[in-house]
Amino acid sequence: MTAETLTPAATDTPMRKAPRRPKPAPGVKRLSPLRVIGMTVVWLFTLFNIMVLYWLIAAAFKTPLEIFRNPLSLPNQLFVSGRPFRNFIYAWDTAEFGTAFLNTVILVAVCSVVIVLISAPAAYALSRLGVRGAGPLTGFIAIGMGIPFQTVIIPLFIVLAKIKLTNNLFGLGVLYVALSLPFTVFLLTGFFRSLPDELEEASAIDGASPTRTFWSIMLPLARGGLITALILNAIGLWNETLLAIVFLQENANFTLSRALFTFYNAAAYQSEYGGLLAGVAIIVLPMLVLYILLARRIITGLTLGAGK
Amino acid sequence: MATVSFRGATRYYAGNDKPSVDRLDLEVADGEFLVLVGPSGCGKSTTLRMLAGLEGVDEGEIWIGDKNVTDMEPRARDIAMVFQNYALYPHMTVHENIAFHLKIAKMPKDQRDERVREAAKLLDLEQYLERKPAKLSGGQRQRVAMGRAIVRQPQVFCMDEPLSNLDAKLRVQTRTQIASLQRRLGTTTIYVTHDQVEAMTMGDRVAVLRDGLLQQCDTPVGLFAKPRNVFVAGFIGSPAMNLIPARAEDTGVQLGGATIPLTPAQRAALTGPEVIVGIRPEGWDLVSHADGLTVTVEAVEELGSDQYLYGSSEVKLVAAGESVEEREAPHPVVIRTPGMSAHQRGQQLGVRPQPGAVHLFDKESGERLPD
Repeated sequence: MTAETLTPAATDTPMRKAPRRPKPAPGVKRLSPLRVIGMTVVWLFTLFNIMVLYWLIAAAFKTPLEIFRNPLSLPNQLFVSGRPFRNFIYAWDTAEFGTAFLNTVILVAVCSVVIVLISAPAAYALSRLGVRGAGPLTGFIAIGMGIPFQTVIIPLFIVLAKIKLTNNLFGLGVLYVALSLPFTVFLLTGFFRSLPDELEEASAIDGASPTRTFWSIMLPLARGGLITALILNAIGLWNETLLAIVFLQENANFTLSRALFTFYNAAAYQSEYGGLLAGVAIIVLPMLVLYILLARRIITGLTLGAGK
Repeated sequence: MATVSFRGATRYYAGNDKPSVDRLDLEVADGEFLVLVGPSGCGKSTTLRMLAGLEGVDEGEIWIGDKNVTDMEPRARDIAMVFQNYALYPHMTVHENIAFHLKIAKMPKDQRDERVREAAKLLDLEQYLERKPAKLSGGQRQRVAMGRAIVRQPQVFCMDEPLSNLDAKLRVQTRTQIASLQRRLGTTTIYVTHDQVEAMTMGDRVAVLRDGLLQQCDTPVGLFAKPRNVFVAGFIGSPAMNLIPARAEDTGVQLGGATIPLTPAQRAALTGPEVIVGIRPEGWDLVSHADGLTVTVEAVEELGSDQYLYGSSEVKLVAAGESVEEREAPHPVVIRTPGMSAHQRGQQLGVRPQPGAVHLFDKESGERLPD
């Protein structure tokens, strides 16, 4: 009986279909306790972060009453009253976010570019030119990453006060650049080190000077690393608050985070929690968008040079 | 065009007291294709890199033509180099890659384009000029690397294993192309490889290096016919020459039932009681067991046109009481027979070296005995 039922099936050639997803290697998908725990932790962490983000954005569209009564519900009242962006308008106007936004964008952009402009040649020299003592020097610069800047704020303030650069965006920019250099140089040394030696040698034989080699061969190849460094610095400086609080006193000079700090005091006093959270959203969202757009680039950039 | 000459060139690497290249003396004639060959770590790449100026020269001098280039920067030496992994600039198109040197040399654009076009035509790269290296196959990249070298019309080409990243078939094809291109351009070329077949087929002369020392520099035929020492004998030829240690008796060298006579000059040159008999796989005659060395066949490699028999001989060739490895028979033996012969595993054969196919080396020094 089996033979008879099988024959017709065998005569008309069965369509071969590729599986929707290729089969994984054996053992990869097995459920081990560690895997279960890992997955749970990762998902909890992700959920928590999404919740916080949701709460922040939802609350930025709510009245204070709604924030406290229905913390997780969707915003309602402001939409009903036809002024959904009331909190944002309030925050922007009251906290003088206009100037602060401009200040921050200029400061962050200029500082990030200057940091990379200084770090790239330094990292190149340290990692590729065979400079005497390059190893210890790189280590010395790396130590800079280990010093929390909070511990040197007072000496920094005294120094800047002496040269009259406190309450001054240029002064703050100098600090930003100086404090970001160790990390950036370190990141870029790893990057330059991962580039093949032969390219430099080929370029030397082709007749290019070391400077020319740096500009026309190595720098374009390190573009990924440079962009990563630029983005990481931009995000870090955008969020920087402590130095801004210490070094800036005048409203006209405020950066966004500094303005938010002032606004926080005022808004909390007036129970303007909706406005306050709208202010937070104004600061957080641009960087979030930037990160989402460039996440892949940042991650590959960070791990590049780690493996051959 | 120029001659190249290494005069006692020596290179040490940091942390190593033994030089990587040791007092190398080598004269390369104008327009010659010289191949540097040897096992990995023998100093062949270092030699080439010293010539290119990518390595310093610790002792001695290097001359290109009538210029002492020992302390010159790479760019002042007027050489072009093809790297093992090609080292193409990944962010530039093929055209820009080839033209990079000319651009640095500030050649006017129309002249530059003309030169690039000529090189591209020669290497069959015309339709790829606007592509980036990532979009090319291995063979095409290799040709771009060649193009980058020839467009410069340099005094010397340096090639560092340029074929080792190609698959076997393409390698054979490209081998011929490079050799004929070099003959056509007539540019002095130093070519590094670890592949002795490449060395034998491409070079006008081949220099064999080992542990930083030049072993022999001769034409491919010269190397094959008269290897100067045991190392060269074992390195050149595939499968390798049989190198069998044996005792020098009064009658000559006893190889099983066969006797190899020694001339008085050879006897005089001997420094010990033992010699190494070198016989290429094709240098054996099949004879009866009594007349030759008895060999048990362990593997048969059928290539169609030829057949290689891998076997071993139980015959004690060296006196007992000597070092362990020589006392221990069996000794491996490789024999070439005509293709499709009816030999089988486990078969016992008698073999005798053909007259004139025997190379004799002194056991102690490894040097060739006079013929």
